[in-house]
Amino acid sequence: MFKKFTSEEVSGQNQVKASVQRRIRQSIADEYPGLELVMDDLLPKKSPLIVAKCQNHLNLVVVNNVPLFFNIRDGPYMPTLRLLHQYPTIMKKLQVDRGAIKYVLAGANIMCPGLTSPGGILDEEVGAETPVAIMAEGKEHALAIGFTKMSAKDIKAINKGIGVDNMHYLNDGLWKMQRLD
Amino acid sequence: MAEKPQPVRVLYCGVCGLPAEYCEFGPDFEKCKPWLIQNAPQLYPDLIQESNSNAADRVSDQLQSSSITDVTGPSGSSVPKQEPVKRLPGGKIKKKDKQEVIIEKVTRNKRKSITTIKGLELFGVKLSEASKKLGKKFATGASVVKGPTEKDQIDVQGDIAYDIVEFITDTWHDVPESAIYFIEDGKKVPAV
Ligand SMILES: [Zn+2]
Repeated sequence: MFKKFTSEEVSGQNQVKASVQRRIRQSIADEYPGLELVMDDLLPKKSPLIVAKCQNHLNLVVVNNVPLFFNIRDGPYMPTLRLLHQYPTIMKKLQVDRGAIKYVLAGANIMCPGLTSPGGILDEEVGAETPVAIMAEGKEHALAIGFTKMSAKDIKAINKGIGVDNMHYLNDGLWKMQRLD
Repeated sequence: MAEKPQPVRVLYCGVCGLPAEYCEFGPDFEKCKPWLIQNAPQLYPDLIQESNSNAADRVSDQLQSSSITDVTGPSGSSVPKQEPVKRLPGGKIKKKDKQEVIIEKVTRNKRKSITTIKGLELFGVKLSEASKKLGKKFATGASVVKGPTEKDQIDVQGDIAYDIVEFITDTWHDVPESAIYFIEDGKKVPAV
């Protein structure tokens, strides 16, 4: 999604109304309870919260010019990788084997066998349509943010085709956009 | 009461910007290596050995040909360095980049378009100079940018795809027309 993403794809930036700001904060807090204690640092009530509207119904939540979360239409908010790296425990994790790293970093969606092979790890708690951190065999930090197409149990049982959509990965356009001015 | 979690500080590579552990999968691992040896030796223990043995090679080279200086210098070398063969998972050998120039028109906003030119560097063209020349010739903005994958490319504002082939072959005689391609509707078509 962010393969060729640049600031030129941002069609409008708006400081959102207080009510909308509250709603966004609330849904992020609900989705990521692990952020509860740092919410005031991340999305300070005093700083204006900017929503940047982009192509393909994509929204970026921007604070102090730093993109922190994104979502599609009214879908769940997902952290940027830079934010996830700081708070790695806020998301459920799935791990791909080493062989898949290259493909994930080229933007490919995550195929079931990359998760079920010996180098992969499936957290069976993960349901379908859930934002997840994509980790990699032998690596400490996440390399992508995914959105599951099927539950972890189904990924294991079906073991074929795309298990997780690759939403955002290291070195894609959003990764390179450290600031949005 | 739970304590406020402290943000983790990830070691990002000073060269490619990825977490240092991912440099090996990054755009140019070779360029990251000196930085990694300095800043993240624990992540790539093999690199230390590699650099030690390179250093040893250099010393023995100098001993053998003391009259020639700086042949194997790390940067100023005029001898093209042999690149190690990259291996894909499964042991397939990655083919070296084909010498091609790829031109693509990208529509950014509704009316604005940008023409991107990739691959000139494969013909020994300096991209910064090329972008200046292109900007001048077409009286528009041109800049060298990091491409979406790994390579640098030149972005020229406006749709100049039509005139550009002739300009490239006229300006850089090393680039044959037969090596120039357009991307049109997602397909690669030769310019000739
Ligand atoms: Zn690097």
